[in-house]
Amino acid sequence: MRPNFFQHIHPPTIPAAQARWRYTLGAGGTAVFLVLILVVTGALEMFFYLPTPGDAALSVQTISFLVPFGGLVRNLHFWSAQLLLVVSGVHLMRVVFTGSYGQPRRFNYLLGLGLIFIILLLNFSGYVLRWDVGIQWALVVGTNLLKTIPWIGNFLYKVLIGGATPGSATLIRFYSWHVFGLMVLASILIIWHVFRVRRDGGIAVPPPNLRMDKERISRNHLVRIEIIAMLLTGSALLLLAAFYPAPIAPGITEVTALSGNASAPWFFLWIQHMLTWGDPFFWGVLIPLLVLTLLCSIPYIFPNPASQDIGRWFPRSNRLAQIVLAVVILAVSVLTLVAQRPVG
Amino acid sequence: MNNRYWIIASVFLLITISLIWWLQARRIEPVAITPTLTGQVEYCLSCHADLAEISPSHPLKTFGCVLCHGGERLALNADLAHSSMRGGNNPSALSVVEQSCGGENCHAGTSTAERNHIQRTLTSLQSTYAGAIANVRYTFGTQPDLTPLYGTGAVTDTSLPSKTGILHLGAFDPLNEANPSLKSFGANCLTCHLNYQVPEDLKGTRFTGCAACHSPVGGFRSGEVHILTTAMPYTHCNTCHNRGNYDLRTITFVERIDQPMTRLERYYQPIGQFTQCEYTLDCVDCHTRTEAMGDGDLHTRQKDFEYVRCATCHGTLTELPSTRTLTDPDDLAFRLAQVNPVVDLHIGDTILITGMGEPLWNTKVLTDGSYQMVGKATKQLFTFDPVMGSGCTQDGQDQSSAYCHECHAVER
Repeated sequence: MRPNFFQHIHPPTIPAAQARWRYTLGAGGTAVFLVLILVVTGALEMFFYLPTPGDAALSVQTISFLVPFGGLVRNLHFWSAQLLLVVSGVHLMRVVFTGSYGQPRRFNYLLGLGLIFIILLLNFSGYVLRWDVGIQWALVVGTNLLKTIPWIGNFLYKVLIGGATPGSATLIRFYSWHVFGLMVLASILIIWHVFRVRRDGGIAVPPPNLRMDKERISRNHLVRIEIIAMLLTGSALLLLAAFYPAPIAPGITEVTALSGNASAPWFFLWIQHMLTWGDPFFWGVLIPLLVLTLLCSIPYIFPNPASQDIGRWFPRSNRLAQIVLAVVILAVSVLTLVAQRPVG
Repeated sequence: MNNRYWIIASVFLLITISLIWWLQARRIEPVAITPTLTGQVEYCLSCHADLAEISPSHPLKTFGCVLCHGGERLALNADLAHSSMRGGNNPSALSVVEQSCGGENCHAGTSTAERNHIQRTLTSLQSTYAGAIANVRYTFGTQPDLTPLYGTGAVTDTSLPSKTGILHLGAFDPLNEANPSLKSFGANCLTCHLNYQVPEDLKGTRFTGCAACHSPVGGFRSGEVHILTTAMPYTHCNTCHNRGNYDLRTITFVERIDQPMTRLERYYQPIGQFTQCEYTLDCVDCHTRTEAMGDGDLHTRQKDFEYVRCATCHGTLTELPSTRTLTDPDDLAFRLAQVNPVVDLHIGDTILITGMGEPLWNTKVLTDGSYQMVGKATKQLFTFDPVMGSGCTQDGQDQSSAYCHECHAVER
């Protein structure tokens, strides 16, 4: 029988030795599942969300309180987005700490980092769409950072904001980026990333002693594992969504009067804290870009893992890359925690 | 694959879905109203369905809640819904009153000065305390003369011309004063004035702003009071007045400790004298809205705009009190009587008026030449006669209280 479309998405079989949960952590698959939830819940929200400054926060309240199951859908969208960042981070750590970014997967590593970058932008643009006093500070401070970039800063600011100060043009641009521009980019990168996983030899390279193992997992079996993972992840998400509602605040009345919460979203708190150290361009733009460049350069400038090391956690041969990533993650985590300390 | 995983995952999902179903079932059922003045749906009644309408002049169907209180009209989460409320539980607090009670179509910004209550209240002595602040600062050598410079808050007279010539007052900040007596004055003597926070020990007895007078608390805890009225009983005036006396040596306020049993004892001026009407009627029966809320100018002395005298109702030996026969259906008297319908006024009725022409709309001149007054808060009917033709031996020019009290004060 010729496989149908859905069967075609899965490889007919994969080597059992590649699909060890303790090795892959299932992070990539979980991320794809979260993206699917985000697309479905986001599409549902689009039926009620109004991207105009006067209506945005009110329509978010309508979704949260008045639309049947609207609150649940919004909370699922919020929590999937937060978990997607966490899961992407775990995925990155897994890849570096097992040294599985070496050739031929070097390019796919870059695609993955690009995806993390786009997920951050999606997360931030979605956060701004609330258009309530809770996001005001981050919107004004975050976009003002663009202005500090020499030569092109003011141009970039105008392109993103659509005027001298954030307003209706800003909201519709963030909305278009969130539901279309960034989504298209993310979709392309996701498909490319997954395609490269298969093209580069499957989800993981087993350790040397298992590489000759001929055991394969059938498509049906794989689907079953995936469904169980989805049931568990979905249940966890539902619990989070039911008991910890997504943040919400009164709508913005005066966009430049910063009355609300003076704090960036949690994934940018580390940058917010660095801004207290001095020059906003250096600490707010240059250093984060340098961090990204450093992560991109891991497969290119640091010693790559030796072939016999691949398939195991923490191989000796790419120790330097592991240390670099560990330091970056530790620094970002510490800064995030410090930034949450009340000021004063 | 081991079926055990399937069972565990399915049971987990089932429990989660049941929990969510249970949570959804516990959700508040939204109750919507769309007030005609705003035309925007609001859901406050989902939780506040049992709250009584605040006054017949502010019907819920017309005003709703958000027009006055602000807040997030769509939110069904108490914290969010209340987060943007104007003035917390009191939208009439003077800091926000212009957005709540004020507004072009309400009690401010109208072409009729007499209806511009917000401007009048903001500039009134009840709010500014300007004269006392100037006097005390002058007494302690902080300012060279009695020119009023400060009020309890900064205020500008925007309704020009000004009869008093005082156009602006800065905000009096006791923390900026070096003299300890002025600091003490700031800490102890400002709290009754309308834009001051009610001190902790008096919370629950009254509010600030318009509600200080128009929302008689009557012993309830604050937050449970949802009343606006022009029929304030004297007991409500007493939440500021007659509470005690100033100690000028320490510049502190000494709360009275006696237990007043009779109405007369409730007055707390040990040397004060009172006639029967002064301790039988409610304060609002005689004192007009202009006296209480100001005339729109910044004053320093209460007596500048105290119009009501004994003669206002009783006249003198040579003159009957001023009256007005109601011919205009738009006469202010009709509107005031409509807001607090204790009397049934008709075109052709003759009522008493103050020296400034304000209607004493709860009075009427009777056909036999005597007068009647209906208590605004008590609805009690009083009749009284003019001085003219009585055995009174007064000098009609002297209207000071001590002069009339010489004969008419009640012994106590």
